Amino acid sequence: MKLVDIIVAESRFVYAGLFRRKSALATTLLYPYVITAFVVLVGNAMGSAAVFVQRVGVDPVPFFIVSSFILMSVMGVVDDIFWTPLFDELNGTLPYIVASPVDRVVYFLAIPIPRLAIVLPIGVSSVVPVMLLYYGVAGLYESLAIMLLAALAALLFTTLAMAITGALYMAGGETWRSLNVIRPLIMVLLGAFYPRWLMPLAARALSWALPPSHVIEVIHRVLVGAPSATQSLALIGVATALALLYTPLGARGIHGWERRKMREGVRV
Amino acid sequence: MTSAIVVRGLVKRYVTRERRGLIRSVKRVVEALRGVSFEVRHGEVVGLLGPNGAGKTTTVKIIATLLLPDEGEAYVEGFDVVRDAKEVRKRIGLLLSVEKGFYGKLTGRENLEYFGALYGIPRSVLRKRVEEVMKLVELDRLGAVDRLYEEYSLGMKARLGLARALLKDPPVLLLDEPTLGLDPPSARRIRSLVKELARQGKAVLYTTHNMFEAEIVCDRVLLINRGVIVAQGTPDELKARIPSMRTIRVYLRGATPRDVERIAGAVGLKPSVENDEEGFTVLKFMVRRPEEVLDDIVKGVSSAGYEIARLRIDEPTLEDVFLYFASR
Repeated sequence: MKLVDIIVAESRFVYAGLFRRKSALATTLLYPYVITAFVVLVGNAMGSAAVFVQRVGVDPVPFFIVSSFILMSVMGVVDDIFWTPLFDELNGTLPYIVASPVDRVVYFLAIPIPRLAIVLPIGVSSVVPVMLLYYGVAGLYESLAIMLLAALAALLFTTLAMAITGALYMAGGETWRSLNVIRPLIMVLLGAFYPRWLMPLAARALSWALPPSHVIEVIHRVLVGAPSATQSLALIGVATALALLYTPLGARGIHGWERRKMREGVRV
Repeated sequence: MTSAIVVRGLVKRYVTRERRGLIRSVKRVVEALRGVSFEVRHGEVVGLLGPNGAGKTTTVKIIATLLLPDEGEAYVEGFDVVRDAKEVRKRIGLLLSVEKGFYGKLTGRENLEYFGALYGIPRSVLRKRVEEVMKLVELDRLGAVDRLYEEYSLGMKARLGLARALLKDPPVLLLDEPTLGLDPPSARRIRSLVKELARQGKAVLYTTHNMFEAEIVCDRVLLINRGVIVAQGTPDELKARIPSMRTIRVYLRGATPRDVERIAGAVGLKPSVENDEEGFTVLKFMVRRPEEVLDDIVKGVSSAGYEIARLRIDEPTLEDVFLYFASR
């Protein structure tokens, strides 16, 4: 069973999900602008852009457009891992997936890769125009770097997402309720909207355990114009090491989930 | 013929919780299977026949590695469904529910290509194989190959389900109520295809609660009720095993109730009477041994001045057989 075959198969979903659901495509492309407008307006009502620049070191509009893009990229990929077992159960496809000889770990590792294709259209339609507008041609280069880093951040979340999925589904009950609690927590702790260096110590410690948060910090450093090559590489190294560290946990989680399903009986 | 599926003493208990008030709940154990044993050989269709909740789907799920048994063992082509699940999965084709099981936003072809990849069919042969199975289930004739699954009729969905089961050309097919809710042409096509596949050497386990279907599709039938196989054999063997009454139907033209009484008196048996759509008066005699009373009936009818237009002796149906064994 080749990983590439599974990736090709999974790509059909991305294609179908994006291009056969026009409304979904439209909202996906609009989302970064909507969220940026919301945050900037609320921020202006409570403080001012000047205060934001003083504290964070960058204009709020490019910051939040990039943050929205990061969040969509990472959560778009992670959500697929979180919700796949539930989606397949409701759809009636789960029995055929469990009864297939595909290696479950390979299958879950393959899920996010085609989803990275979503990163490109969202990035091109949101990050690129805003960065071009604010920073000219330099902004274009920064956009490309940001898109690459966001894809990496999403990819590095795969193994931890597998471990969380496995643990939640093994715990049983109505998993979707737990996911609805865990998901926003992850969104905050990623540090996409709330830079990690501004977080309280406890939140920062938790954030540190999430591999993508390190890559997101690199993106923020690119944005504020203070990227140190050594520091960036170190952060990416830490993120990669964490993702690798979570691999056995992720594999155990997925096998545990499958075993539990088989004990209960896969619902038809 | 060799055994493709061997099932020995399968037991499965489900634990459910019954709510008693706001907080308290009581544990309830339901025995879905209570020592089920049977074999399915290559080249035969074996029907697992029983009412809803009898344990048919539970049995199929265990063989398909979708459910762990509490006791007993099951083998597919010699591989244990618990210990060698991966090997078993390579050898089975599965159809569980005809209503769902595919992705709505993908076409029939894309769905099959997706599952083909999960089944480990190399990309170089997958496309051709998808074409073959689509043709086999006649989805190409219906123009459904490149239509979105969400636009499929139930009949098309069932055909696509069977196509997926056949995708990797498995030696063993597990089909759980594959014609449930289908229109007659689709159901007939699926039945004939299943028989053809068995002729090619595949072992088919076919669950249904449709007695008529079991009789025409299955080489052997396992009657299952409340988690126990109550009888097994060919449909004819099973019918021969029940001491049931045969029905002799005598078709007469224009017999009055008084004539029927005269005939009954002459024969010495009281028939039930009904009028059929063709205008015949039908006398139904329920007897244990038709050969012993047939002469008397013919003579009794003649002596009443009637001519027999048609005469039929009905064997017990599989439904009679099931009711007999289920009630014991």
